[in-house]
Amino acid sequence: MPSTPFSLKLYRFLLKLYPAGFHDDYAGPMEREFRDELAESSGPFALAKLWVRLLSDLALSLPLQFSRELWQDARHTLRLWAKRPGQTGFAIVALAIGIGANTGIFSVVNALLLRSLPFHDPSRLASLGAFFPPHGSAKEFHEWRQQQRAYLADVALIEQFDVNLGAVQNPVRAHLSYTSWNFFAVLGTQPVLGRWFRDGEDAPGKHAVAVISYGLWQQFFADDRRVLGSTLRVNGTPLTVVGVAPAGFNYPNNSNLWYAANYSPGNNGWQTIARLQSGITWSQARAAFAVEADRLWPRRDELGNSEHYPRMISLQDELAGPVKNASLMLMAGVVLILLIACCNVANLLLARTADRATELSIRSALGASRARITQQLMTECLLLSFAASIAGLLVALWTTSLATKVQPAPLSTQSYSILDGRVLGFAIALAIASSVVFGALPSLYAGRIHAFSARGASSTRGARLIRESLVAAQVMLTIILLTASVSVGRAFVSLMKTDRGFATKGLVTVSVSLDGTTRGVVGHQLPFFEEVLDRIRRLPGVRSASETEFLPLDATGFVGGSFGIDGRAAKHNSTMVPVLSDYFKTMGGGILYGREFTDAEVRSDAQVVVVNERFAKEFGSAADALEHEVTIGKSTPRKIIGVVTGMDYMTGTMDTAHSNQIFIPAHSPGGFVSTFVARVDGRAEDSLPVIRDTIRAVDTQVPVFGVKTMEQRMAEAVARPKFYRTAILLFAGFALFLAVIGIYSVVSYAVALRTHEMGVRLALGATPVELRGTLVRQGLLTVATGAIFGIAGTIFSGRFLESLVEGAKSVDLTTLIFSIVLIALVASASIWAGTRRIARLDILEILRIE
Amino acid sequence: MPSNERQAANELTPLSPAFFHILLSLGEGERHGYALKREISRRTNGKLTLGPGMLYGSINKMLALGLIEESGDRPDAHLDDERRRYYRITNYGRKVAQAEAARMRELAQLATATFGLPKHA
Repeated sequence: MPSTPFSLKLYRFLLKLYPAGFHDDYAGPMEREFRDELAESSGPFALAKLWVRLLSDLALSLPLQFSRELWQDARHTLRLWAKRPGQTGFAIVALAIGIGANTGIFSVVNALLLRSLPFHDPSRLASLGAFFPPHGSAKEFHEWRQQQRAYLADVALIEQFDVNLGAVQNPVRAHLSYTSWNFFAVLGTQPVLGRWFRDGEDAPGKHAVAVISYGLWQQFFADDRRVLGSTLRVNGTPLTVVGVAPAGFNYPNNSNLWYAANYSPGNNGWQTIARLQSGITWSQARAAFAVEADRLWPRRDELGNSEHYPRMISLQDELAGPVKNASLMLMAGVVLILLIACCNVANLLLARTADRATELSIRSALGASRARITQQLMTECLLLSFAASIAGLLVALWTTSLATKVQPAPLSTQSYSILDGRVLGFAIALAIASSVVFGALPSLYAGRIHAFSARGASSTRGARLIRESLVAAQVMLTIILLTASVSVGRAFVSLMKTDRGFATKGLVTVSVSLDGTTRGVVGHQLPFFEEVLDRIRRLPGVRSASETEFLPLDATGFVGGSFGIDGRAAKHNSTMVPVLSDYFKTMGGGILYGREFTDAEVRSDAQVVVVNERFAKEFGSAADALEHEVTIGKSTPRKIIGVVTGMDYMTGTMDTAHSNQIFIPAHSPGGFVSTFVARVDGRAEDSLPVIRDTIRAVDTQVPVFGVKTMEQRMAEAVARPKFYRTAILLFAGFALFLAVIGIYSVVSYAVALRTHEMGVRLALGATPVELRGTLVRQGLLTVATGAIFGIAGTIFSGRFLESLVEGAKSVDLTTLIFSIVLIALVASASIWAGTRRIARLDILEILRIE
Repeated sequence: MPSNERQAANELTPLSPAFFHILLSLGEGERHGYALKREISRRTNGKLTLGPGMLYGSINKMLALGLIEESGDRPDAHLDDERRRYYRITNYGRKVAQAEAARMRELAQLATATFGLPKHA
């Protein structure tokens, strides 16, 4: 029969699909039977019938046999694990951290870079950074927009503000975006209710219309469809609601209200977004945009700062901007960590397989094929990965919650979540890939174990070199990370210890905004603040209270300019901060000379001023400043009544931390955002509600927000450096942990391979302690090699660290010595533990086997 | 490989039809897999035809349970292919088959008492 060879070949191939154990036992008889049946089936019809029967039998029996054999292997694995709980625990923890950290960071990368934006055809949306199109009037902007049609299908302008929103009583703070009328058309998003702005609605007199967010609709109007046409008050101005945005739409920057723009020349707070013209590539559009930017702004090269050059980037990149590089760098870091973890687990399994060489060779002698033993090992690896992935999900959850705290996603639809198809798929792929990586080496080794040779394959020189290089590399990495974590940790401690010119403990801060209220009118402002302060100061436990127009750490805008003394201008620009009486007393600021303002001076708008030491020193000694006057252009000079240390208005930025500061009495406070400060006895958190309610009780039309202790504001301000510290500390701790596993498994593998040699040495009179001592010395040689590279790496990475984390210094000798001693101690302990089987060796038994 | 902790014979009942027929066939003497398959097919008038996967899967499981064992004797060496494996029933297998038969008899008696016997039985 001409078809015989092919049919047989095909059947042999299909038999290979069965699990290894079943195949080993029954492939022979099954093939024999197939020959019998084939011989009995004559004619194409009978042959086809035979194949149909065989294939349906295969479909039924294959899953059955697989589940049986996997279940057998799994039970075998669990028994093995129970015998070595410590090693198994180490392996699972190492992989769980590796897989978990990868999944967590990937969820950030996925949310920011892979998940598409919730807009129509988002890959065609661009952000025109640092570029202001003509915007003196609606007509000017829209005419310019039409002229760009060759490469931009549409362009929209956005400007953002925090505003007071709501009825006369109990208004709330909302984030508002002023937009050109075509903003929603550029994004291509549809409203759930009503409409977007219409052509011309951003012209003067026609723009009192607003679109509200889905959240605001639920909160203010309880999903009522009659919201359309109703009136909202924004900073006191009535606006008509014309539409409701879809759920989750909060671009830009958590906006919950969109208001047709009000153009004015000279405004430079605009953001510009655009949609590329169809058929135009990004490079074509960029080239055309560069020509237009040059035409509008021919001398832009003179800016001298590349950040201020107009540039066209995709909206997705713009939104991911601050996190993109950091998350990609972290991703590379955690992938590397996972690879190292896999290598270590591979070594651990290798050592264990070598330990089991006797068991495996007996099984091999009993007829278990190489495939069967490999299948058993792979099952063990997959189970290990599976257990690690489950534990890793917890690590991933923790990682995403940390990322959300440090750098929240720019859009609500981009929230970092591991409950996402792509992220879970990534985690599963990672688990399988890592089990292949760490399972390959032990499986290869097991395949080389021959029946009747209990010693298994001996280690080749090359393989030993690879393993030892791996250990040396880990020692190097651990030293670099340990020293870096000390350095970053120190930088953080000094950041927290920095004198910022105020005392954070026991300080309560609460903000108000008078925008659009009857209190916001000139002449009505100060009485409101005085009444509030009078009530706060009378509260039990309050030592002093005051108010400032710009709160340290949190200042979003400044009034500044070129100030001088007695007509001589200062070299540096100064920042002007209006404050009320008792401000320095309440903040715990240092008054070096003179005094601060009295209530009478504030009320009478006295022409007095308090300056900081830095400003005073520009003109000689700080003590002498009290005799002089501060001059601001041609306005009335102000008499200097005090010199203070000054305050840190922003953390970490050089501009304001060491700037010239001028404090003036806030005769007309409430211009933008005003903040009450109160120094209290006991825990500041406990005083937050009572102070908030006291302010609210004075006038319910004034919204109260930003109810926080100064310690909370400080924690928010240092969240990023704190994250660097935590991340690098975790990396270092994990690297140390991995080095322990790595050294331990390499040593115990070496001992397992050299059992015979050890037995002979013991027989010749060496004591177990002497033997183990020799191994520790040999192992430490590898560690020393790694340490040399580690020192070099530390010097190199120190420079990088200095640029990444402010205040991080290159590593000093003490830290380096500490790290090296630590790893030497840990390595010695690991080697000692890895060689403990030498103490239990039975010389007679070993020699008898030989 | 016989199971170390052998369960009481009636704990394995009811047996699957494949298991019971294999035990029945082996009760008459040793057989190899293909012969078992043909015997069962003949016995059931072709209603139960075990494919090779299901047949050897059952044999594998029955070996593990200790119901049957592999036989070292090869009945007709010059006609035989060494790839064939022969099986025979164990004492335990015999007990389990008896327990299954007893169970079926009780069931049949109950059915007869309830419905009576068909006229052309």
